[in-house]
Amino acid sequence: MSEIHEDYIIEIENVSKTFTGGVEAVRGFSAKIRRQEVVVIMGPSGSGKSTLLRCINGLETAESGAIVVDGIRLDGDKRRRLEIRKEVGMVFQSFNLFPHLTVLENVNLAQRRVRKKNKASATERSLELLQMVGIADKANSYPAQLSGGQQQRVAIARALALAPKVMLFDEPTSALDPEMINEVLDVMKKLARSGMTMVVVTHEMGFAREVSDWVIFMDDGQIVETGAPESIFARPQEERTRRFLNQIL
Amino acid sequence: MLHTKAKFRAIDAVLLLLCLAAGAYIYYRIQYGLEYKGSWAAIPQFLLRYDPETGRWAANYLLQGLITTLKLSLWATLPALLVGLFVALCRTSETLFLRMVGASYVELVRNLPPLVLIFIFYFFVIDQIMPLLGVETFIRALPTGAQGVITFLFAEKSLFVQFISGIITLAFFEGAYMAEIIRGGIESIERGQHEAAYALGLSWVDEMRFVVMPQVIKRVLPALANEFINTIKYSSIASIVSIQELTFMGRQVVVATRYIFETWITVAVLYMALTLSLSLVTEQLEKRLQASD
Ligand SMILES: Nc1ncnc2c1ncn2[C@@H]1O[C@H](COP(=O)(O)OP(=O)(O)OP(=O)(O)O)[C@@H](O)[C@H]1O
Ligand SMILES: [Mg+2]
Repeated sequence: MSEIHEDYIIEIENVSKTFTGGVEAVRGFSAKIRRQEVVVIMGPSGSGKSTLLRCINGLETAESGAIVVDGIRLDGDKRRRLEIRKEVGMVFQSFNLFPHLTVLENVNLAQRRVRKKNKASATERSLELLQMVGIADKANSYPAQLSGGQQQRVAIARALALAPKVMLFDEPTSALDPEMINEVLDVMKKLARSGMTMVVVTHEMGFAREVSDWVIFMDDGQIVETGAPESIFARPQEERTRRFLNQIL
Repeated sequence: MLHTKAKFRAIDAVLLLLCLAAGAYIYYRIQYGLEYKGSWAAIPQFLLRYDPETGRWAANYLLQGLITTLKLSLWATLPALLVGLFVALCRTSETLFLRMVGASYVELVRNLPPLVLIFIFYFFVIDQIMPLLGVETFIRALPTGAQGVITFLFAEKSLFVQFISGIITLAFFEGAYMAEIIRGGIESIERGQHEAAYALGLSWVDEMRFVVMPQVIKRVLPALANEFINTIKYSSIASIVSIQELTFMGRQVVVATRYIFETWITVAVLYMALTLSLSLVTEQLEKRLQASD
């Protein structure tokens, strides 16, 4: 990767990650993601989806291969790593809101401390974001007072607060009661339509069909198959993909 | 956990009677079996004493001792908390060296008898650290007004260096226990909290300050309050190096009066009054914190 490809915001080349204990979670994974693309990653449990996602913002350190985000190479250098952390927002399966802070404080925190904004301008942006995810009225509540769906929407707003260029979602709806899944997916769809680059680990076929540009099917730490959602769901080329799709349908 | 209510049964009555009988027997042995003549009437004057000069009641040895115990424990707790916080951060750090430093300190303190530790450490502090800090010169140079404040907050001028050494020794000792409590709190914070802080680009300091520590404090506050009660109990070993706290004063009174039982029972009651009331406060605190979750 000698030259920087301007139109690719994420470049993953031959990335491998082995955990201490010998589990090869990701094995020689390569993918390039363009600006404003929405990519859905699917695959059976333990296939390395979370690990791959976490390698992109440096939560896990890949032991070989290269990851470049918006022209910044993720390596041992702390300052470059911090740049990437600021440019990549992440939403977790278990929300991970800060329970001792109100909704507003959760969304304000990084703006204040990382972007060094003053309270008024941080709050202004936070309220806009909370408006966008539809819970501005809960700004002064604590996370424990919210439903799962509401918490996850706060988590999305919090991740957006630093105006990241990329958003990573790790099974954002799989800890939610069925009736709350859609309120979160709706926010994500809105975000996708606004032009955000998104990498989403999810088994929500409807979401994948509606907003994703392409789908990566993973197994055993590797890509089994990639393609546009219509084609990969309708005509999977690989036996493993077919078996998996039959299971989740 | 199953909450079964305690019931009073026949067996409880029997056991209670046995305990009362044992108590009566011990009392009888002390009264008639021992070559010992005590008197309760002599004790109150060692708590409060009437000063004919000022015409007021003033705290005497035992009550003064209790106050010194409280001062010693309070002052020792502040540096112990700082040491505890620092060592807890060392022990949870990614740097192996810091972890080893923290672990060595904690293991050293926890695996030595406190009395031995205080002998070694106290004389080291008195001999080396106090002159280094210039405490003695500092206290001598103070104007009289300030000395009154110092006496009120710490101890009289002549005992000040000793008192400060006692504080440092006790803090050194308690710091290890505080460290373990705080470390437990830090380690109890879910991994997801750290990951969220990381993903938001927070620095380590900010993560600790705004995300981890506020939650840790809430979780460990009852345990720390409890450790303060332990500090009060441990502070009695400071009597061995002539700091005039409650146990030291108890010994003085015994030497003067020979009323061993009366004096030590009074000392025990004074300690209990302090620790039990603090226990109650701790319990309330715990309930309050639980309710706020
Ligand atoms: N911190 C870790 N230490 C050791 N092994 C790990 C660790 N995290 C994940 N693994 C292992 O790596 C493999 C891939 O895990 P990963 O969480 O990436 O899978 P996944 O595709 O996200 O699965 P799921 O759908 O269950 O979330 C699994 O075998 C898992 O047990
Ligand atoms: Mg996963």
